[in-house]
Amino acid sequence: MKNIITIVIRLTVSCLLAATVMGICFIFTSGAKKHNEHVQEQRVMYELLGFKAGAEIPSSMALHEVYRYVVTAGGKQTIAYVVPQGGGKEGSLFVSINLDGTMAAQKELPLSEAQALDAKARLAAVTAAAEPGATIIFADQTIVVTKDGKRIAYILGGKFQGFKTFVNVMLAVDPAFTILGLDVLEHEEDPGLGAEIDQDYFKNQFKGKPFEALKNIDVLKAPIPDDYLKALNGKVGEEDVQKLREQYKDKAVYALTGATISTRAVADGVKGIVTKFAYRINVLDKILKEQQLTVSF
Amino acid sequence: MANDKTPMQLIARGVLSENPIFRLALSMCPAVGISTTVMNGIMLGIAVLFVQVFSSVTISIFKNLIHPRIRIPTYTLTIATWVTVIDLVLAAYLPEAYAKMGIFVKLIVAFAIITMRLEMFACKEGVKDSFWDGLGMGIGFMVGMMVIGMVRELLGSGAILGYDVLGFKPLLFFILPSAGFFVVGLMMAFFNWIELYYKRSKGVK
Repeated sequence: MKNIITIVIRLTVSCLLAATVMGICFIFTSGAKKHNEHVQEQRVMYELLGFKAGAEIPSSMALHEVYRYVVTAGGKQTIAYVVPQGGGKEGSLFVSINLDGTMAAQKELPLSEAQALDAKARLAAVTAAAEPGATIIFADQTIVVTKDGKRIAYILGGKFQGFKTFVNVMLAVDPAFTILGLDVLEHEEDPGLGAEIDQDYFKNQFKGKPFEALKNIDVLKAPIPDDYLKALNGKVGEEDVQKLREQYKDKAVYALTGATISTRAVADGVKGIVTKFAYRINVLDKILKEQQLTVSF
Repeated sequence: MANDKTPMQLIARGVLSENPIFRLALSMCPAVGISTTVMNGIMLGIAVLFVQVFSSVTISIFKNLIHPRIRIPTYTLTIATWVTVIDLVLAAYLPEAYAKMGIFVKLIVAFAIITMRLEMFACKEGVKDSFWDGLGMGIGFMVGMMVIGMVRELLGSGAILGYDVLGFKPLLFFILPSAGFFVVGLMMAFFNWIELYYKRSKGVK
């Protein structure tokens, strides 16, 4: 009996000790870790838009965040968007849309674009704008990139099932939903096989794929032709890259050797993200136009 | 049981006569799964090296406080703590290294070699000796992983350290996890053969 008590006490003490060490370490590092993740996201975002690290970003370009919420009230679901208001007004618009694409409600929110970045303040504003007692779930956020007031790109984030766990990607598409760039933020595929999805030669295959081709995207189990591979790796001049991209833009994505499932997962995932987004943004645009609401993009 | 070896002998033992991969045949599953390229081998090797040294020293310091009945849970807890700490620190202060090493670091909790060294050495010997033993085993593991990685990368993708050497991919089979066992087996045979040859040439039976 005495033995059991000593064992229990010692094990408890060692667990507490270990937990303390890990906890202290977490407290000291979590700030820096979050900061790193944020920096990486910003860097990836600008790279997708064609600004390599250190390149100057023109002041006529602006990024506007659009947030999407799912609001459930009284057994009815609506999709609510928080969009920055245009026409020189500081503040955001709350636009709620029924599932059949008709307008449900709209309100002005006393929330500037900078304030809307804070998830808590945004949620509080949305809760105040929605019907009382509604359940509000944050769905996702999209960034609309404008240049001189005109839309030039959308930045989409998304997660989908890979071969092992989730693959977290960021995409840039132009207003016609042609892919401008793809980057893999996080994945846990097998090194040497599925992990090749974060290599340039794979990601660049999606670059320049038009929306029509993406809707029926297929995976081809064949080695990548030599000239195309060189172009994907950026080893030839810009003109040749453009020419080959043009030539292959309607074709299937070449599967990674030994990782067809990962390839298919990425192709289908990207297709899902873009097609869903295209549908949503069209609905939102239609509503904004019908109601003659001015937004900053 | 006091240790009568010098630091250099402890390191040499970890790399050669008791190499974790080729002689002790421990931690095979994760090793075989990861060692597809030289770089992967080096990354995993460095991560294991740190965890092994820190855990060995920790256990050696607290060896008189650990109840013998619960030593295995304590070892696992120690390893898990160090793995978490290294993972967090890397993610926070060396984001570029973490982008490459992150997936490997988390695997280390399950490595048999570390638990085995704690059980066989660190819980009996002094802090300094445990440090050298941990260092030797870590280096031995890293060297083993590098050699396997080199063979597999050369035969599987025709490259070394990412540089295309052969210009073609001889056998894709070598990148797949099962091939790791073949490579390890062949390497073991090769090392044993060298040892035999060396002993014969010295006239030892």
